Amino acid sequence: MANFGYSLTKSSRIDLNNRNIEKWNRLVELEPDVLKCMACGSCTASCTAGKFTKTSLRSAILYLQNGQEKEALEYIQSCLLCGKCFMVCPRAINTRHLLLSISKIYSNR
Amino acid sequence: MRERIIGGYDHFVLPFMIGMIFILVYLLIAMIKVIMSLPASDRKKLALSLINPKIMYKNIRDIICDCLLHIKIFKRNLLLGYMHASIAFGWFMIIVIGHIEVMLFVPQRNGSLYYPLFYRFFVAEQNQTLKGAVFFFLMDFFLLVILSGIGLAMYKRIRSRALGMRRTTKPCFADRVALYCLWSIFPLRLLAEGFTAGISGGSFLTKPTNMLFASFLGNDMNIMPTWWAYSTVLGIFFLALPFSRYMHIPTEAFYIFLRNAGLKIHHPRKGVAEAEIYSCSSCGICLDACPMNVQKKNLPYSSVYFIRFQRRNNKKKINEIADKCLMCGKCVALCPVGVDSCGLKQAQRAVVNNTLPYDYKFLGTAGHTAAAPQNDDNGILYFAGCMTHLTPAIIKSMTKIFEAAGEKYLFADKDGGVCCGRPLMLAGKTEAAKEVIAKNTQNIMESGCKTVVLSCPICLKVLKEEYNLKGITLLHHTQYINNLIQQKRLVLNKSEESFVFHDPCELGRGCNIYNEPRNVLQSIGQLKKAGKEKKESICCGGSLGSLTLNYNDRVKITQESLNILTYNNPDKIVTACPLCLKTFSDQSARPVVDIAQTVAENICNGCIKQ
Amino acid sequence: MNNNVIIIGGGPCGLEASAQLHQMGYNVILVEREPQLGGHLAKWDRLFPEGIKAKEVLDQLIANINGVKYFLNTEVKSINQLDKEYNVILSNGITILATAVLMASGFDLFPAEKKEEYGYGIYDKVITNADLENYFNTGKDRRITAAPKRIGFVHCVGSRDEKAGNRYCSKVCCATAVKQACEAKEAFPDAEVFCFYMDLRMFGRGYEDLYLRAQKEYGVRFIRGRVSEVAEDINSQLIVKAEDTLSGKPIKVTLDLLVLMAGMTNCQAGVKVANMLSLKKDDDGFFTCKDSILHLQQSDKKGIFYAGACTGPKTLPDTLHEARAAAIAIHNYFKERK
Repeated sequence: MANFGYSLTKSSRIDLNNRNIEKWNRLVELEPDVLKCMACGSCTASCTAGKFTKTSLRSAILYLQNGQEKEALEYIQSCLLCGKCFMVCPRAINTRHLLLSISKIYSNR
Repeated sequence: MRERIIGGYDHFVLPFMIGMIFILVYLLIAMIKVIMSLPASDRKKLALSLINPKIMYKNIRDIICDCLLHIKIFKRNLLLGYMHASIAFGWFMIIVIGHIEVMLFVPQRNGSLYYPLFYRFFVAEQNQTLKGAVFFFLMDFFLLVILSGIGLAMYKRIRSRALGMRRTTKPCFADRVALYCLWSIFPLRLLAEGFTAGISGGSFLTKPTNMLFASFLGNDMNIMPTWWAYSTVLGIFFLALPFSRYMHIPTEAFYIFLRNAGLKIHHPRKGVAEAEIYSCSSCGICLDACPMNVQKKNLPYSSVYFIRFQRRNNKKKINEIADKCLMCGKCVALCPVGVDSCGLKQAQRAVVNNTLPYDYKFLGTAGHTAAAPQNDDNGILYFAGCMTHLTPAIIKSMTKIFEAAGEKYLFADKDGGVCCGRPLMLAGKTEAAKEVIAKNTQNIMESGCKTVVLSCPICLKVLKEEYNLKGITLLHHTQYINNLIQQKRLVLNKSEESFVFHDPCELGRGCNIYNEPRNVLQSIGQLKKAGKEKKESICCGGSLGSLTLNYNDRVKITQESLNILTYNNPDKIVTACPLCLKTFSDQSARPVVDIAQTVAENICNGCIKQ
Repeated sequence: MNNNVIIIGGGPCGLEASAQLHQMGYNVILVEREPQLGGHLAKWDRLFPEGIKAKEVLDQLIANINGVKYFLNTEVKSINQLDKEYNVILSNGITILATAVLMASGFDLFPAEKKEEYGYGIYDKVITNADLENYFNTGKDRRITAAPKRIGFVHCVGSRDEKAGNRYCSKVCCATAVKQACEAKEAFPDAEVFCFYMDLRMFGRGYEDLYLRAQKEYGVRFIRGRVSEVAEDINSQLIVKAEDTLSGKPIKVTLDLLVLMAGMTNCQAGVKVANMLSLKKDDDGFFTCKDSILHLQQSDKKGIFYAGACTGPKTLPDTLHEARAAAIAIHNYFKERK
C-alpha cells in the first residue's frame, strides 16, 4: 500500500490525544484552582525569578493542558515560591500550592 | 508514729506498683529512644547543658513555673490557671511531704515506692506531736487544694467558658480513662485516709470525714476496699498514661531540658519533635487561638489535632493539617507548654517537599542588582522585598523618609531582587532555600553596608534566623523610623487622627517587635487598642504559611481580623507588612496604610535641624 | 390610590424614565443627590463608538423631562412600605407618598487606589478613565503636564478580579479604553499608545469597527496581558510590567501616562436606600431582579422597580432601554392595581 504524505521529521503539531488525562485529573483533585486560570499573564509579569529565567505558571498550565509535560516543568523549575503571583492573580488561584502540586505529580523524584 | 502493718506491705499496693513500674520502664525507654535519635551534635549540646549552671537554673525555674505552677495559664485566665496549678502543685507537694514523713517517722521504709503514698494505711498514731500535726495539716491542706482543682475541672467539662475557653478538645478513649481515674484518685484518697484517720490520725479534712462516716458506716469494714480502690485507680491511671494526654506530665519536664539546651526540631517525629508531641497536654488553648477557626469547619485543623494525629502516625491527616496551617504562630505563642507546632508542621512539609526538583542555576549568573558599594561604615542597605514591590506606597514613603533624614542608602532590590527564602522554608523546601540564602548573604556582605533596613517582616525573620550576617544590624523599617525619631533626625506632626496598629505575625510573634510601631504612631496621632493585639493579634489571612487554604476561606479570616482591629473605631488601620496591607485593603471599608505611609505623610519639613 | 412615582437617581436612566412616565401622565418626582442632573454622563466628554458628545445627549435627555418635578442636592432619608404605597422622606424635609419607586441609582466607579500595585494616588502619572474624560472635557489635569510620549491603558481595573471582590466584567471599559486610546492619539499625535487587555470584548454594533480604526488609523498597540506591577523611576516615569501572553514573554515598558480603566460597582448611595427596604443583592453587589430574563425591571418587592446599572454594568443605550422598559412595567403595575 502506498504511503502518502511527508514524514521526514516528527510533526511539530501538538497532539491533544497524547495528553495524560489521569495525571491531569489528579492535579485537578489536588488543586482545583488550576481550572480557574484565564491566562492573563499577571503571574509571569510579576515573577521574581522571571527576571532571570523563563518561569511562568500561566505557560506551565497551558503546556500541561496540551500534554507537553516536560516543557511545562521547565517553566516552573526555577520558581522561588515567593507568592507574588498569588497576590496579583485576579482569579485568586492558590498559585504556590498549584506549583508544588504540579511538581509532585509530574516530576520524576 | 509506729508501723501498724508488720513488714510494711499489703496486697492492695500491687495495682499501684504494677502501674508505677510500667510507667517508669516506659518513660526510661522512651527517654533513651528520644536521646538516641538526636543528631550527635545535639546530644553533645544536651550533655553540656546539664553541667552549665545557668541553663540548669533555667531548667529548674521552668519546671517550677511551667510544670507545677502553670504561670502562663494563670496569666491567661486566673481560674484556669488555678485549676491546673492546684492539681499539679498539690499533687507534687503531697508526694514530697509523703516522702518527708517517711524519712522522719519511719526511716526504715525509705526508698519504698508505695510507702509514702499509702503512709496513713501503714502507720498508727501513738501520741500527738506538734511536728506530726503540722504534717497532717499540710497533707490535708494540699489534698483540699487538689480537690478544689478537680472540682473546677469537672465544672469546666460542663461550662468551659467560665474558665475562659470557648472551645475545648474532644478527648479520645485513653484520655477519658485517664481523666476519670484522675478525677477519682483524690476523692478516693480522702475516703481511704478518712476511714483510717481513727488509727493513723489526720487533720481538718480527714478527721471530720472519719467521724462523719463512723456515725453511720462503721469505719473498719471500709478500710480495705477504699485503699484497694485508691491503689487500683492509681494503677490504671499509670497504665493509661502513655496513651493519653496526661503523658504531657512527665514529658514536659524532659522537653524543658531539651528546649533550654537549645535543640531544634530536625525531623517531624523524632528527637525533639517526639518530646514536643508528647508534651502537648491537649488543653485546647490553640483551638481559640487559631485564626482559621472563625469557621467551625476548620476546627479539625487545629494544632492539638495535628499533634494527636502525629501520636497516632496518621500520615494522611498529618499532611493535610500541616499544609493547611497559616504558620501565624499564635498557637505557639499561647501554648502553655511551648510546643512549637509550626516548627513541627514545617518539618513535616520538608519531609514531603524537600525532594521536589528545582533548578536555581540562574542564581550564579544573576548579577548584583545594586551598584558597587559607595558607603561608609554606617551605610544603609534598603531591602524592600518582593511583596513590597506590589505596594509602591511603602517604597515611595521610605524614599521620602530617607531623604528627610538625610540618609545615604543603597536600594538593594530597586529593580527587583532574589526572594529572601522564607517562603521556601515555609513550604518545606529548606534545601532549596539554602541556595537562595547563600546568594543573598553574598550580595549583602559584598555591599559593605553595616545596616539592612527591611520593609517586609517575612524577609526580616529569615534574615535574622537563617542568614549568617556577622556585624550587620537588621532593622525593620518600624524600628529604623523609631530610631530616627528618637535621634531627632525625623520630626513628625501630631494630629487628632486615630490609629489602630495591626501586629503582622512575622513582625510581632516572629521578631518580637511590638513597641516600636506603637511609639512611632503615638508621635503622629492617637493610638487606639485593637480587640486583640500584640501576641494575640490575628493573622490578616494573606499568610504565605498556608499552602492549601483557598481564597474564600482566607477572606473570612481577613474579615474577622478587621472586625477585631476596628473594635475601638479608629480612623485608620496601620500595619507594617506589605502582605497584610494588600490583604486588608481588599476587604476593608476603612483606610489601611503602612506605618511608613503615615510617617511620610506627617513629616514636619521645617522642624528638622540639620 | 395616588398617581405618584418617585425616581431615585437623576442620571440618564432616571431622566429617560421620568420623561416617559411623565408623558404617560404619572406624577413623577425625580431625586438627585448631586447638585446637577446627568450622573456620570455629565462628567464624560465623548461616547463610544462614534464619539458623539456626551453633552449633546445629556442636553436632549434633560430637555425631555420638561415639566417633571426634580430635587437636586437631595437624598432619601427614609423610605417605608405602607399598606398600598411607600412613604418617602427626603433630606429637604419633603414627604411623598408614592405608589411606585424606581431605583435608577446607577453605579460607582471602582476606586482604583484599591489596586495598590498600579499606584493610583501614589504615582503622579497614573490616572483613571474618569480623570482622562475630565481632561478631555476641561483640558486641565495637574498630572498631564507636557505632552506624554508613551501612554498605556490598563483594562479590567477592579473588574474580573476576585481580589477586588468583583468577578464580573464591567462591559463598557473595553470600548471606552479603545475610544480613549484613539482620542489620546488625537490629543497627543506624537504619542505611542498601548492597550493592555485580557480579552477584548467589543460586542456592540460599531465596536469592532472602533477597534479596527484604533489599529489602522491610530496605530494603537494591543498587548494581550494584564499589567501586574507599576514602578516609578527617578524621572517619575512609570515602568509597567506585564506579560505579552501571545509571545509568552514578560515585557516592560516605560510610560509617561497610565490610564486605569476603573470598572463599575453598585452605587453605594443607592445601596443605602435599598437597605432601608431590605432589597436583595447578589454576591456581586448589584440588586437582584425578580428573574433574569422576563422581569428585569421588577424587584422582589411590589412597587419597587429597577433600571440601569444598579442591576449590573450596562452601556448607555442599554440603560436607556431599561428606563423605557421600566416605565412600561410601572404603567402596567398601575393598571393592575386599579
